Amino acid sequence: MIISPLRSLLATGSLLAMLVPLSLHAAEPEDIIKYRQNVMKAVGGHTSAAGAIVQGKVEYKSDLLEHARSLQALTRNIPALFQKDSDFGDTKARDEVWSKRADFEKRANDTKAKVEVFAKAVQSSNQQTIAASFKDVGESCKACHKDFRKEDK
Amino acid sequence: MRRRASAGFLLWLAVTAPAGADGDVPRQGEYLFRAAGCAGCHTDTDNQGAPLAGGRALHTPFGVFYTSNITPDPDTGIGRWSENDFVRALREGISPRGEHYYPAFPYTSYTQLSDADLHAMWTWLRGLKPVRQVNKPHALPWYLRWRATLNVWKWMFFDPGPYQPQADKPPAWNRGAYLANAVTHCAECHTPRNLLGGLKRSRWLAGNRDGVDDAKIPNITPDRKTGIGRWSESDIAAYLETGMTPDGDFAGDAMAEVIDNSTSHLSADDRRAIAIYIKSLPAVEQAIRKEKKKKSEQDEFL
Repeated sequence: MIISPLRSLLATGSLLAMLVPLSLHAAEPEDIIKYRQNVMKAVGGHTSAAGAIVQGKVEYKSDLLEHARSLQALTRNIPALFQKDSDFGDTKARDEVWSKRADFEKRANDTKAKVEVFAKAVQSSNQQTIAASFKDVGESCKACHKDFRKEDK
Repeated sequence: MRRRASAGFLLWLAVTAPAGADGDVPRQGEYLFRAAGCAGCHTDTDNQGAPLAGGRALHTPFGVFYTSNITPDPDTGIGRWSENDFVRALREGISPRGEHYYPAFPYTSYTQLSDADLHAMWTWLRGLKPVRQVNKPHALPWYLRWRATLNVWKWMFFDPGPYQPQADKPPAWNRGAYLANAVTHCAECHTPRNLLGGLKRSRWLAGNRDGVDDAKIPNITPDRKTGIGRWSESDIAAYLETGMTPDGDFAGDAMAEVIDNSTSHLSADDRRAIAIYIKSLPAVEQAIRKEKKKKSEQDEFL
């Protein structure tokens, strides 16, 4: 039974090792990239759905506010999705996201602001303001992708 | 930061464009000029270059090309050109001095422009403010520096002459084919090239893995799996206007530039015509995305 303290030490160690990923260990860059891409896909989903309603392709007007609110939540802190060290591998993010951070954050904040205006417009239910503010959201997305996203990798 | 100056450029266009002195010709020229995306390459946006004064670097698998000054400056631009020189440059790819142009200048597409449209573009271009900026020489490997070899290249890959409408197709289709192939020159990026840089005609618009600046250019034929076969005509037209895909994603990089500077300024009918043409293409199955790169593989090369 000499082994037993060692064994219990090992057991404690592996228990600790199991706990580490949940707390201390930094996230893997691949996982950050995947997370970011999924959040962006969610943004795209709501944008596309909202667009179909705004353009009158479908009649889900009562859902429009839900989409707008979801977009608000998803775009509240875009720069946080682009953490340091998540700049390589299977990502279309340009190096400029990190090397020209201030410009990037300006673009991201512009998107956040445009989404807020859109959400307000939806509450006003003025068709023209809704359409115009939705267009501005799209312009903002495109402007950021233009400078900060590469064509397919 | 690339392409930052595009908004400024539009403003500049609005200010300096001749106000239709001889009717609609210059206005039509301006419309075509935008649609053809001339300003995109002939402006060094990266370095806040003057509009159309050239100097933008195009990184291609064949070397680095620097675009030329096409403002009417007599010494550094095209101020001494005749209209004939201009037509010959776009239709035959030959400079006023009789030299062949490298096909980085897409005369392979512009050759299909109609006489009337070339005249309109020339008229508009003549009215612009001259900018003095000396052209930069291209940075090419030695075996490409001898322009006479371009003669052979042209013989193999270049079909000069204006677009011939297809009688069995409706006018909107012909308009779309003309716009896509002669004016907006989609194929120059979206069609893969062979080893000598000639377009692979059997894979028309089926995407290019070796695009300018290392871009991967998507397949836009109606193949459902690897192309845009799931997009409707309206989806394509809307994308060319706003940049939004049916998934709610937005164009970025070079295509955002094309949309901002060119296709968003087209009339709705013209965008629709391009969509009709694109939808009619033969579907080519060709996946453009490379295998996913793993982090570990990358580290091996560091």
